[in-house]
Amino acid sequence: MEREITLDNLRTTAQRAGLELSDDELQRLLPGVIRAKKQAGELRALVSLDTEPAGMFNASRVTRK
Amino acid sequence: MQQSDLCFLTIAEASRGLRRKEYSPIELTNACLERIGDFDGKLHCFITLTTDLAIKQAKQAEHELRSGQDRGSLHGIPIALKDLYMTNGIRTTCHSAVLANWLPDYDATTVTKLQDAGAILLGKLGMHEFAFGGPSVDAPFPAVRNPWNTAHIPGGSSSGSGASLAAGLCYGSLGSDTGGSIRTPSSHCGVVGIKPTYGRVSRYGVVPLSWSLDHAGPMARSVEDCAILLQIIAGYDPNDPASANVAVPNFRLGLNDGIKGLRIGVPRANWFDENLGVHPQTEGVFNQALETLEELGATLVEIDGNPFSLARKANQTILVCEAYAYHEKRFQEAPEKFGGSVRRRMLEGAFLSAADYIAAQRVRSVLNAQICQSFSLVDILATPSAPRPPDPFEGMDPNEQNLRPSFTNPFNLTGLPAISVPCGFTDGNLPAGLQFVAPPFEEATAFRVAYAYEQATEWHKQRPTL
Repeated sequence: MEREITLDNLRTTAQRAGLELSDDELQRLLPGVIRAKKQAGELRALVSLDTEPAGMFNASRVTRK
Repeated sequence: MQQSDLCFLTIAEASRGLRRKEYSPIELTNACLERIGDFDGKLHCFITLTTDLAIKQAKQAEHELRSGQDRGSLHGIPIALKDLYMTNGIRTTCHSAVLANWLPDYDATTVTKLQDAGAILLGKLGMHEFAFGGPSVDAPFPAVRNPWNTAHIPGGSSSGSGASLAAGLCYGSLGSDTGGSIRTPSSHCGVVGIKPTYGRVSRYGVVPLSWSLDHAGPMARSVEDCAILLQIIAGYDPNDPASANVAVPNFRLGLNDGIKGLRIGVPRANWFDENLGVHPQTEGVFNQALETLEELGATLVEIDGNPFSLARKANQTILVCEAYAYHEKRFQEAPEKFGGSVRRRMLEGAFLSAADYIAAQRVRSVLNAQICQSFSLVDILATPSAPRPPDPFEGMDPNEQNLRPSFTNPFNLTGLPAISVPCGFTDGNLPAGLQFVAPPFEEATAFRVAYAYEQATEWHKQRPTL
């Protein structure tokens, strides 16, 4: 289950990512991040366990250049 | 011929006139430069004008054409580029303070192809910052205005391409499209734009927004002109890892073949009513366009729109993750250089996980199969290009795009070719676009259907009053 996204854990995640963002900026980001995380969570329901991602690595393409 | 008549010729018409010696490349170029001087002060289409280069290229084209060295339909035709196409020694800003004075040291493959075809470069065009977010109101360059009503947005992110074509400031342009950035400004400005199949046109030297969703493509004032431009820029490029080694057909060959008996899929159910749904005026214009298509002999087939509706979530997740990954170092070092709109949206990518991104790529596999399955029932799909008329700048809701269906981004997710063609006007004389989506690498089919519709209507001949 996804944990709730708060200003505090947004701040922690930003710091881990090397981002220095003010609380004002984090507050502005919060609704968008909540929406984006919710959306990404909903995607899980659309695939079965055996579905592979699009754009899988293809070794034959490495020699194309 | 008056300046406005000269500047509103199509590429095909101008090309014929050049060969009949009715005017010269220098006259075409000077007419555009004069018109840019007259009107760009209120439209803000151009970030950088390349006047000296344009005149030099025009003189060269004139000399070559006079001496029988004909490079084809684009020879001697003035064009302009969205300012994310890298141009050797010419400022390429992406409409951002981050790259405000950047001079690339090589040309994009598409730029080289246009130069080899004898096109004349007038300059670099305004856009949404880094092709993302909304109109760039806090960037170092002013936001582009819609020539049909400067209080309204021109659509983005290829805003300058759409607006400059509508205003007669150039004859053709290249845009880029990651979620609708060619088709939306084409729709809002009343011009034609095609997002080709993923891999059809090289992205080498086009500043990325999202590698797996980015498409380069042409915009112009007619379907035929888009076909001319795509013919020149399409083809395999070993410098682009996503480039497809697929034969390029003659895109103009079947333009006159008509659409009698063609099955057109309309994925209305479970999509057009998403959230606030399609704006009623937009849907009204779209329904009238469908009637015209039926009169031309096509058969309409209503199909399930659910997979198309689901595509937005996957598209947005992939887009913000890839965009943030590309700009991560810049956000760590100087986030203040980004404008507010692009910063707010791109930074979402910093808070999504690897598993989120991969979930979106797995959904992409599923939806790609479901959407492509539509082509077992129909030959082509039709939708509005944009879900609503162009908003006014004032009071614009940045979340509006999430409140209505996106008719464009499912085809970035699936890589399918999609063209927008003018199909009427909503209140206030604001243009609307009709989108056709074809199976992979069947741009010729999209051109054929769009051309049949265009020739049966007068919308593409309307001009804004400036």
